[in-house]
Amino acid sequence: MPRALEPQQTPSFFIHGPSPFARLVFFSALSLALIVTDSRLQYLHDFRQGFMALLHPLQMIANAPFDLYRAGAEYLTAHNTLVETNRELVKQALQNGVRLQRLNELEAENEHLRSLLGASQVIVQPARLAEILHMGRDPFSQKMVVNLGERHNIRPGQAVVDGDGVIGQVTRVYPLSSEVTLITDKELSIPIQVERNGLRAIAFGAGMDNMLDLPYLPVNVDIQIGDRLITSGIDGIYPVGLAVAEVTDIERNPDSPFARITCRPIAGVKNHRQVLLINIPEIEPASGNIIGRQPDTASNPSASVQAASATGVSR
Amino acid sequence: MPVISLRHVYGSMLLALLLQLLPWDGLALQWRPDFLLLAVVYWMLRAPHLCHVGTAWFTGLIMDLATGGVFGQYALAYALTGFFAVSYQRRLALFNIWQQAAYVLFLLLLTQTTVIVLKLFAGDDFPGWHFYLHSVSSILVWLAVILPPFGVEAPPHKN
Repeated sequence: MPRALEPQQTPSFFIHGPSPFARLVFFSALSLALIVTDSRLQYLHDFRQGFMALLHPLQMIANAPFDLYRAGAEYLTAHNTLVETNRELVKQALQNGVRLQRLNELEAENEHLRSLLGASQVIVQPARLAEILHMGRDPFSQKMVVNLGERHNIRPGQAVVDGDGVIGQVTRVYPLSSEVTLITDKELSIPIQVERNGLRAIAFGAGMDNMLDLPYLPVNVDIQIGDRLITSGIDGIYPVGLAVAEVTDIERNPDSPFARITCRPIAGVKNHRQVLLINIPEIEPASGNIIGRQPDTASNPSASVQAASATGVSR
Repeated sequence: MPVISLRHVYGSMLLALLLQLLPWDGLALQWRPDFLLLAVVYWMLRAPHLCHVGTAWFTGLIMDLATGGVFGQYALAYALTGFFAVSYQRRLALFNIWQQAAYVLFLLLLTQTTVIVLKLFAGDDFPGWHFYLHSVSSILVWLAVILPPFGVEAPPHKN
């Protein structure tokens, strides 16, 4: 570019190219068109995918010093810290082992009972371990990015959990990474069940750090502070019984028909670097409970009614 | 006086993008300066023949991509800021460094306000006033870079 070599101080009286205002008008129109296209018509998916693939190496470079630091710190961990952690983990493993033995027995028993009832079997949902690349950069949403993507067969909609409970859901999949929306995001809702009494509801993210809302529940609803909320599983995405949140505050306002219930997520997004992405189970199409079906498709109506009534566990 | 070439412009923008992409978290994320915007504003004021509204727009598009938001929001905000930077660029030579910094702060706040307005239109929640901390930390970085100990050459100004 010859213009690049002009001395800086010489003011150029002849403006090259279109004026700044013309450019502003052009690019503003372009942005508005992009905003509309991206938010209303899903045309820009491939465009975003391509660009993200270009941005990925840069992200890796930016992450490198931190990874290196972490690896170094791990390498230099003091001997006694390691011994202590190891002892702690062995203890934990022992405790978990005892519980697991009982779980195996219970699982067998549950399967047996389910077959007696004619309910469909609980599907085992395999999971994959992913590492958090970085937290979301947008202060308007609660998101994070993990290091598994389309190449690793990750699909949008997969549930994301850690050792304590549900963290969120995969909302966007890029070639080599994917974006996880946290349960505290305003856009995400999750079907839950109160562990104490089995009451089902839907929890919505509050859009703020560490907060969930339970809206549209009547004032006299049977929920207490400290109640644990677990996934109900009726959505077919989250496995049943994962811890989601704990009720921290209930506000019963006489002039509102609904109680204001706030909860705190149990899973600590900030505490871990690894999370599990749980595969979405293949859901068999429901049969038999649609009125007006031909009798041959509704061959075992009792079984599917049982399945549907079993608080969603069948899905 | 060294001649500025496109390589300087794009090199520094790449560096700013890398700084932006560092895995910021928690409080650091709240205080993270907007390096990319600073680089854009700096070159718009110093070398408007190399960095124009279109460059600013494209940088904004990269920001949209990096934040994972709707395309075009940061792009529009950056383009608007770029326009204001360029249109008063000549007049800025009559200012001293501190007045220039005040003008840059105005540009940063303008960008953030545009982003907030666009995001609110798109249905997002107001993130709280600490959102503007980005501008505060950005202007501190601007001063740290421009003032003597570090001494990157400021855009043309009155001594």
